Amino acid sequence: MKTFSNRYIFLYITVLVMVIAVLLTAVSMGLKPRREANQKVEKAQQILRAAGYENVGKEAALRMFDSVAVRNDIGGRECYDIRCADGTDGLVVFVEGKGLWGPIWGYVVLADDRATVKGVVFAHKSETPGLGDRITSPEFTRSFVGKRILDKDGNFVSVSVIPKGRGGEIPEENRVDAISGATLTSKGVNAMLRDQLAITTETEKR
Amino acid sequence: MKQYLGPLNKENPVLVQTLGVCSALAVTAQLKPAVVMALSVTAVCAVANLVISLIRNTIPPRIRIIVQLLVVSTLVIMVDQILQAYVYEVSKMLSVFVGLIITNCIIMGRLEAFALSHKPLPSFVDGIMNGIGYGLVLVVVAFFRELLGSGTLWGHPVVPQSWYAAGYLNNGLMILPPMALILVGGLIWIVNSRKSGVNH
Repeated sequence: MKTFSNRYIFLYITVLVMVIAVLLTAVSMGLKPRREANQKVEKAQQILRAAGYENVGKEAALRMFDSVAVRNDIGGRECYDIRCADGTDGLVVFVEGKGLWGPIWGYVVLADDRATVKGVVFAHKSETPGLGDRITSPEFTRSFVGKRILDKDGNFVSVSVIPKGRGGEIPEENRVDAISGATLTSKGVNAMLRDQLAITTETEKR
Repeated sequence: MKQYLGPLNKENPVLVQTLGVCSALAVTAQLKPAVVMALSVTAVCAVANLVISLIRNTIPPRIRIIVQLLVVSTLVIMVDQILQAYVYEVSKMLSVFVGLIITNCIIMGRLEAFALSHKPLPSFVDGIMNGIGYGLVLVVVAFFRELLGSGTLWGHPVVPQSWYAAGYLNNGLMILPPMALILVGGLIWIVNSRKSGVNH
């Protein structure tokens, strides 16, 4: 077998790593505009979907988003005032949290009363395909429509994500069914909403 | 020619060499991610084989695994970036599993067993064939898992609504990883029973 000196080995690996570093930087920089454009369009589509605009195409999404939504942060949290598909005004709240494998996030559209959920979308980085990633499915997100984040006395309670049949004392209007087979991701959604939706009501009181 | 066709049949990386089973379980709940995963692995395997074969005489044997890993992870990161730029939705479905191609034993296995000792062109073809051999298994498993588990194929519903009305239910077990293992096991059984004189 051919033998190589230590000097050769060190030199070899150093050069190799440098070549790779340059290559990867070039690819990453080259594709960056496309990646960011994709993410921007996706975000616009997600928010529009939560606000009731179904099937907005990729091309139309950004233009449409600009025409119905205005950024209006509350307490440092990313929020938008939006004109919903049904013609009413809504408030979009960005929420983010932890799923089973990585970050999850979403947009919750509240009605003018800041209590009734008009729509939600969720997204995730790396939840299990077929299980945890079903938090993005229409079946799950639709179950949030019409739920309330306030209880009867007007206190913030969030919308709890609870396994079917274990809702207990929580009124129907303050909970949705968790996804079976995706307990931990469901818990993540639950915690995300509980921790982060409160901001809208707090600012309201102040 | 015969040695190149092996991965499709009697030398199938997943079914006979039992390599790359982990990802075969993970991405086969639906057909679409399975196909994209198969294409990604094929691309990485072929190009990695080609690159390693081209530089095989310059690689010091003592650090050859490190060199192989560097080449493979570079290619995987590039594939990931390309998927994010051009097929954004699918790249999101595959999520972590694209990154995990780096650890797919088929790729390292082919680099060690073939590319280090063969010329570039044969190595390239070997990479493609092994990628296809892996992909075939993924597609077959994903076909059954999506059909029986979700009642859809490529995301389109195929089980008629009337069946559901008559009491038909999707088999929830199908979308869980254990069922993929059972299906892969079944395929291994079929392939082995067709091969005469196998002894493991």
